Amino acid sequence: MNPAIQVTGVGKRFKLPNIPKNATVKDFVIRTIRRAPGGPVVDALKDVNFTVERGSMLGLIGRNGSGKTTMMRILAGILQPDDGKVEVVGTVAPLFALGTGFHPDLTGRESARIELLALGASRAEVDRLLPRIFTFSEVGEFADAPIRAYSAGMSMRLAFSIAMTVDPDVLLLDEVLAVGDESFARKCLTAIEDFRHRGKTIVIVTHDGSKIEEWCDSAVWLDAGAVAGYGDPHSVVAAYRSLSAEET
Amino acid sequence: MNQYFKTIYRYRWLIYELVLRNLRLRYRGSLLGFTWTLANPLLFMGVYTLVFSFILKNGIHNFPLYLLAGIVPWNWFATGLTQGATSILDGRLYVGKTLFPSEVLVVVPVLTNGVNFALSVPFILIIGLFMHAHFGWSLLMLPAVALILLMLVQGLATIFATINVFYRDVNELLTYAVTALMFLTPIFYTKSLVEQHAPQLAPILALNPLSGIVGAFQSILYAGTMPDMKGLGFAAVAAFVLLAVGQWLFERYRESFSEFL
Repeated sequence: MNPAIQVTGVGKRFKLPNIPKNATVKDFVIRTIRRAPGGPVVDALKDVNFTVERGSMLGLIGRNGSGKTTMMRILAGILQPDDGKVEVVGTVAPLFALGTGFHPDLTGRESARIELLALGASRAEVDRLLPRIFTFSEVGEFADAPIRAYSAGMSMRLAFSIAMTVDPDVLLLDEVLAVGDESFARKCLTAIEDFRHRGKTIVIVTHDGSKIEEWCDSAVWLDAGAVAGYGDPHSVVAAYRSLSAEET
Repeated sequence: MNQYFKTIYRYRWLIYELVLRNLRLRYRGSLLGFTWTLANPLLFMGVYTLVFSFILKNGIHNFPLYLLAGIVPWNWFATGLTQGATSILDGRLYVGKTLFPSEVLVVVPVLTNGVNFALSVPFILIIGLFMHAHFGWSLLMLPAVALILLMLVQGLATIFATINVFYRDVNELLTYAVTALMFLTPIFYTKSLVEQHAPQLAPILALNPLSGIVGAFQSILYAGTMPDMKGLGFAAVAAFVLLAVGQWLFERYRESFSEFL
């Protein structure tokens, strides 16, 4: 037993401010005069428990709105849990919404620098890592071209390369393994395999049960913020599928 | 130090990189580069001098220099505030979705305009020398006054950036308020003109923290005297309070941001 991630009794509530989307100052005045009550409290996660062993890969599965993304954001440290605790050993790099965080007018090199600094790298590390990123991503000749000249596949490759080069202890992936062409996809899988052999840990979120069965050592099925299944990926995915089939 | 300022300090190199990026983006593909930043106050200076010195005859000695000493810090305030106020909305790709710290989003436009301000100061000094203005030891106070202005802009920008996420039209109100505030700050006129012609308005104008700050810049960069410490002190307290309110609001609502963007 050598856990890299230990999630114990985690709960997260969102107290939604009782404000309609795209509200105006008029709404504010009306709400204040009527003394509108505070917004509803939504339980995004309820008593979630799971452990991820070092060097293993965990798949999170569930329907939209089941709390997968909230769980990933808590693992990444973007959100704080209201109950329970999350222990993560080592550094974390999240790869969410791959390649969408790049500004189109910036060059690939500038984007990579900013991304690395946002991941917490020091300036010296940035200078050391930049050449590796462009070698791995195979977009080196476009390093000084603006991102708007990149194809979708190229910016994804760049983003993936950044996360892999930072070499975190825990990698969080959100629906991203379908990146690039076949040869690059294979390269990604090799990199991820190598990553795991070095005792690093991966958590992946996907709707695609077959990927979880293929890659993961364990799986967590979230339903309405609670754990509906946990353990062997085949049985968890089978249970998830049978429920989905029943409802449709 | 609380979490908000710790995060800003921790990501200082990210901020540095983003400010640099903003400056580069602004000047990339433009022939005149930094000259554009100067062109704006210089154009203002020309037009306003025409109106206020020749047509309205306000009788302010060396009016072009007086105007520059007020309008250059004003531009930092106005542009930094309006850009900072939309920064969380503009950064919706990052906020709450990536590790990108959203505190940084507000700081970047505020500092970018601060750099433009700092780069413009030498030009005011050069123009002042041409106009035979006297500069004194009070020049050493420039960084302190600039710091107070920075706190004020950052505080207000954080407040409006947070409110803007929930109430989108606050930004339009802000635009009007900024224009109104420009005329409630002694940029086109002097404090003594107010005391002379409308003494009953003087206490109201003194409530505007920008009066103290802009007045201090005018003392340093135009009159060559020490700034009025009472006005500046009031501005410093106001700036500090607004910054504290801003970071409190931000911390209070930050986890709701991504739901509303």
